[in-house]
Amino acid sequence: MNRLARLLLFLAALWGTSVYAQEIAFDAKVDRTAFAVGESIRLTLSLTNAQGNIAHPDLGGLSVVQGPFESSSFNMINGRASSTITRTYMLTATAPGDYTIGAATARVAGGTISTKPIKVHVDKGSGATSDRSLNEGQKRDRDLFVTIGLSKEKVYVGEQVVATYTLYSRYPNLELSDYDLPALNGFWAEEIDIGETNWQEGLRTVNGLQYRVAVLKKQLLFPQRSGTLKIEPLRISCMVNRSFFNRGSKVETQSNTVAVEALPLPGSAPQGFSGAVGDLRFEARTDRQSVKANEAIELTLTITGTANLKLVEAPVIELPPDVEHYDPKLIDRISMTGAGMNGSRAFQYLLIPRHEGDFSFGPFAFSYFDVAQGAYRTLSARPILVKVEPGTGGGAASIARPSKTDVQVLDQDIRFLRTGDPQLRPKDRFLFGSWAYAMGMGTPALALLLFGIWRRRSAARSADIDGTRRRKAERIARKRMKQAHEALQRNEREPFYAAMTKALQGYLADRFALGVAEMDESTLVERMSPAAGGEALAREATALIATCEMARFAPLEDRPRQQLYDQAVDPIQRIERS
Amino acid sequence: MKHMRSTLLLLTLALRVGTGVAMDRPDADRSMELARTAYTDGDHAKALALFDSVAHEWNSAALQLAIGNCHFKLNDVPRAILHYERALLLEPGAEDVKANLELARQRTVDRVHELPRFSLGSSWERWVGGSDVDQWARRSLWLWSLTVLFCMIALLMRGILRIVGLSLTGLSLAATLLAVFLAAGRTAQVRDTAGAIVLQPRIEVTSEPRAGSTTLFMLHAGTKVELRKTEAGWCEVALANGNLGWMPANALEKI
Repeated sequence: MNRLARLLLFLAALWGTSVYAQEIAFDAKVDRTAFAVGESIRLTLSLTNAQGNIAHPDLGGLSVVQGPFESSSFNMINGRASSTITRTYMLTATAPGDYTIGAATARVAGGTISTKPIKVHVDKGSGATSDRSLNEGQKRDRDLFVTIGLSKEKVYVGEQVVATYTLYSRYPNLELSDYDLPALNGFWAEEIDIGETNWQEGLRTVNGLQYRVAVLKKQLLFPQRSGTLKIEPLRISCMVNRSFFNRGSKVETQSNTVAVEALPLPGSAPQGFSGAVGDLRFEARTDRQSVKANEAIELTLTITGTANLKLVEAPVIELPPDVEHYDPKLIDRISMTGAGMNGSRAFQYLLIPRHEGDFSFGPFAFSYFDVAQGAYRTLSARPILVKVEPGTGGGAASIARPSKTDVQVLDQDIRFLRTGDPQLRPKDRFLFGSWAYAMGMGTPALALLLFGIWRRRSAARSADIDGTRRRKAERIARKRMKQAHEALQRNEREPFYAAMTKALQGYLADRFALGVAEMDESTLVERMSPAAGGEALAREATALIATCEMARFAPLEDRPRQQLYDQAVDPIQRIERS
Repeated sequence: MKHMRSTLLLLTLALRVGTGVAMDRPDADRSMELARTAYTDGDHAKALALFDSVAHEWNSAALQLAIGNCHFKLNDVPRAILHYERALLLEPGAEDVKANLELARQRTVDRVHELPRFSLGSSWERWVGGSDVDQWARRSLWLWSLTVLFCMIALLMRGILRIVGLSLTGLSLAATLLAVFLAAGRTAQVRDTAGAIVLQPRIEVTSEPRAGSTTLFMLHAGTKVELRKTEAGWCEVALANGNLGWMPANALEKI
């Protein structure tokens, strides 16, 4: 038995030696030539069909995370045997750049054999912050750590930050028994619903070590004041390696401390700013454009976008005073995801116009702080015109009109400019005391003076004419009576009566300043009555004139001509004497 | 005829030259219209500039009210008060001016208790004050012309008509005299107004007309004072409550 075994071994060795001389190879390989800082690559040196001593290669600045691990293998395929010695390194880089892994050498049977150098490229890491926290975490505990990751570290007050609490574990078996969420001072926090906590697909390599990763929690944080706001570490305790046979052991760990630098909102906020920070849109609408008086209308102001929506307050709205309105109803459609808080918040107002007419609601304005531009923005919605028709009077459905109320004084303001002619006058000029005024006063006075003078003169003149007539009256009458006397002597009828009439009429007209047309009995009586016995005298004179006229034109002579002549002389003499 | 024409020419010339106006009336009316539009559109600064350009040459209560309103809207309350007071001087008892003045006064610092003053009420004030300074002067001219006319008619009439005419003449003569009296009063009131408004935000009223003398009291912009004397850049002023003191003349502006 012992012999046989020895023989077999010898045969095998002999056969092996026969193939041994054929192919000797020495290779260096990496699993990838480009990777990111913090990640690791695998460098494999394999020596085939030879026994030898592999020297440690120059790694060109890359550092070894794990290894080297050595393994050897022996294959026999279709009678052809091959053997391989493999040495594996896990390498990582701490800084981005191009690295060259130098040639590796192996001493084989008195000679040396070497590989070709390999060039690798290292990228910047995908997230420097998380890498830092990962590195810190790994430093605390290689096998189990938690990190707090922030989506942003420098934000404005009110701007949202997503905080992610992540667990990294190398234990095959882990039960989370307890965790303490950090106290959040200076933040307003909202939980993001991420469902059940589960291990993520795949492994994550941190500095060459592979971890299973689970997101424990996500939170939205809104800084409420400016300054550096610290988040205390998250503490967890877990049971690891628990199995049917093993009670397991308790491991406790805590996360890194993170800080958010909250910048104060710059400058002075516009009117109506109530703390909304983010990226928003604003819309106002009513459910109807036309209603009847006393019917309700819904006015909805909707704010949509990504912001601290739950802190958005109703914008101040201005409504016509005789529109009744109630406090708004809040309608939130807000979702919280890893992308932040977004959705819409609507304020629904119930308005009841009490009177008919055309109403204009708004314009509405909403102010917020635009994070992207780092400035306040005011969104405005156009006024909404609503036509209110007269309500249906009576009827069970109609709402009773409110009882009379005093007119509300809403504000005070100065009165408007005067309309119409501004009645401009030259400045610092006064009519009173001016030349124009003097002329205005002087002209009527002058006119009065001239009028007085004119009147006096004309009165004097007219008085003079009458006087002259009176004075000449007797003389003219005497002359005419003489003509009548001559006609009497000659016994001429017609000239006698003509002269008689003329003498009497002319005398009376001249004596009492009468026109020929005024020569009737009543006027004469009126003029002569002031004198004693004037009235009888007037009648007598008139009767004489009438007799003369009658006798002149008609063949009627009631008395002798001599008698008539004497009768006519008598009143003239009497008037002259009076 | 020739005489009459030259007299008329002289009259119009006297009126024209008397005014000595560079900006004529249509220009002023156009500026007023533009300014009013600017004011209505809310551009108060532009409106003020236009109103001021008119006010260099022209004046009226409506214009002063408009300037006051512009100052008020531009938050210059003391100047608003100054112009409202000017408007009130031109048209005493004007309700819109009084309302605006009241509102402007609410925004000033000083509260001066006015001594009680004899007053026959707002409507009397308005009647006596008229709508502008020259109103009573114009009325006196009309009444005088009417008196002369009545007198002439009475002289032409006889009997009872003459008696009626003469009594009408007497009445209108009395009215004329009253109008002349009021015109003289109003013109003197406007021309020789002693009122002034403090325009400096804060001014010390001292006992003597020199800097550094005893401070009697403080006044703030918008307060109305009465000028008593003026001496070398200093004014003696009296408050409505009777207090007296001196202040630099440049701190005030006369109504």
